[in-house]
Amino acid sequence: MRCFGRQCRGHGKVFVSLVRQTETQLLTTGEAVVALARTAQVQVQTTTQLTADQRTRWDTTLTMAVAIHQQIVTQSRRLTHSQPLTRCKIVNAYDATIAPICKGKSNCPTQFGRKPGIIGEPATGFVFAARLPVGNPSDTSYVLPLVDQVQAACARITTRATPSIYSLAGDLAVNDATLRESLHNRGILTVGIPRSVEPLLPTPSPEAINEMLATADLHRKRTPRQGELACAAGYSRPVVESIIASLLSRGAGQLRYKGWHGACVQLTMAVMAHNAATIRRIRSGRLTSRAQKFRRLLHLRPLNPLKIKQGTN
Amino acid sequence: MRLLHHLQHWLSGTGRPLRVADFVPETHPVRQWADTFPWTVLVAAVDRNFARRFPTPTARGRAPVATRVLLALELLKHELHCSDEQICSQLRTDLAVMYACGIAEVQVNRPQAHFVLPELLTQFRSRLDEPLLQELLALQAAAAMEEGAVSPAHVVVDTFPSEQGSQRVNEAATLYKAKKKSCRLSRRSRRSVRPRGQA
Repeated sequence: MRCFGRQCRGHGKVFVSLVRQTETQLLTTGEAVVALARTAQVQVQTTTQLTADQRTRWDTTLTMAVAIHQQIVTQSRRLTHSQPLTRCKIVNAYDATIAPICKGKSNCPTQFGRKPGIIGEPATGFVFAARLPVGNPSDTSYVLPLVDQVQAACARITTRATPSIYSLAGDLAVNDATLRESLHNRGILTVGIPRSVEPLLPTPSPEAINEMLATADLHRKRTPRQGELACAAGYSRPVVESIIASLLSRGAGQLRYKGWHGACVQLTMAVMAHNAATIRRIRSGRLTSRAQKFRRLLHLRPLNPLKIKQGTN
Repeated sequence: MRLLHHLQHWLSGTGRPLRVADFVPETHPVRQWADTFPWTVLVAAVDRNFARRFPTPTARGRAPVATRVLLALELLKHELHCSDEQICSQLRTDLAVMYACGIAEVQVNRPQAHFVLPELLTQFRSRLDEPLLQELLALQAAAAMEEGAVSPAHVVVDTFPSEQGSQRVNEAATLYKAKKKSCRLSRRSRRSVRPRGQA
């Protein structure tokens, strides 16, 4: 008998010999299914009752099913023989895009699902862009595509000057030298991304700000005042958690639509609903004192509800 | 009434039309929430994308349900925590939901069961692709920035895990719940049988 994970998380005992016996039985059953799938594939190609589109669709589905079966066989053999798994492992035969997520669960059975990434304003919680990659890539790989999406949204503004991103904050998972360099090249400060587990200073000295600007080689593009604000708007777990909690309450926690495409639809709709609720809070002035202070510092004038266009419907 | 003509043919009933905006107060949360969306640009983007990807060969046949209604229903589903069926049923009876869907006037027609069938929402969702979804989010963000409500000057990036759920309850879950329930019930019954004062 073998144990893994913390006992408080549920049953951690596994009967290895029983698992091995069951695996052999299941694989023997599966072999017949593979043969059937291959025969069906041949039949699909020869039959005249199906259209070309239908034939292609069935062919793709059957090829994928056989490929996934092969991958599951290899995976289960490695597991039962105590060999390490390869990076891309299948956790659901019906949806190969789901991946294991180890985030936030040390020494516990791994959670399976998806890992959406968001980029938002820390003051009010407005989410500018969201991304749902296939599998479970590193957190660093989320940043640049999300920044691209925000810059694409900024480029759509026509009636006022195009805004730009001054600084970007994140947790220790996005601490990467290459990423920092590419963000600096775009004129974005990275003072909100920590380099160690030490907490960030919210009010650094002027000398420290000048040094940060010089390190990023942005002392001509960004002012010390912007650097000061970037430090104040640094990564804060409670702030990020509040945004995530709002998204989870709108259905982003449990993705109910099928497949990666369904998950994308559900996440985007949840984000849009959350954004609308955020704008509603801004319009009615129901903001935290921190958010109000940030808005004052960023010269975001309070909206006059009498001047808001009524003809949206 | 313009939007009504794009809805199902049986939507326009007989009798005096009701002005939806008159019945939904300006302080109503759903009305305030719906007024934040830049509907014109969102609907135009969806229509443009669908026209390119799913061209209609002929203009004959019944007019489709308006994109504005379907998009609003899909967003309302998340705001009001409803299923497809629930939100479609609310659209029939709730004037605030009608307002959010852009229906300006409605004529009372009691035998009519649905304005929009839940199956249509599934079809609408299957047509939304990733570039379109990103465009919709970008349009909403651009409208908020243009209004001066938000600024992208200082942003924060993070990820969070979401589990893949299933709407259908599988056999394993039913069995697990049944066992748990029976255990709880037996424990309760044992407790109730025990005389008072006994540990």
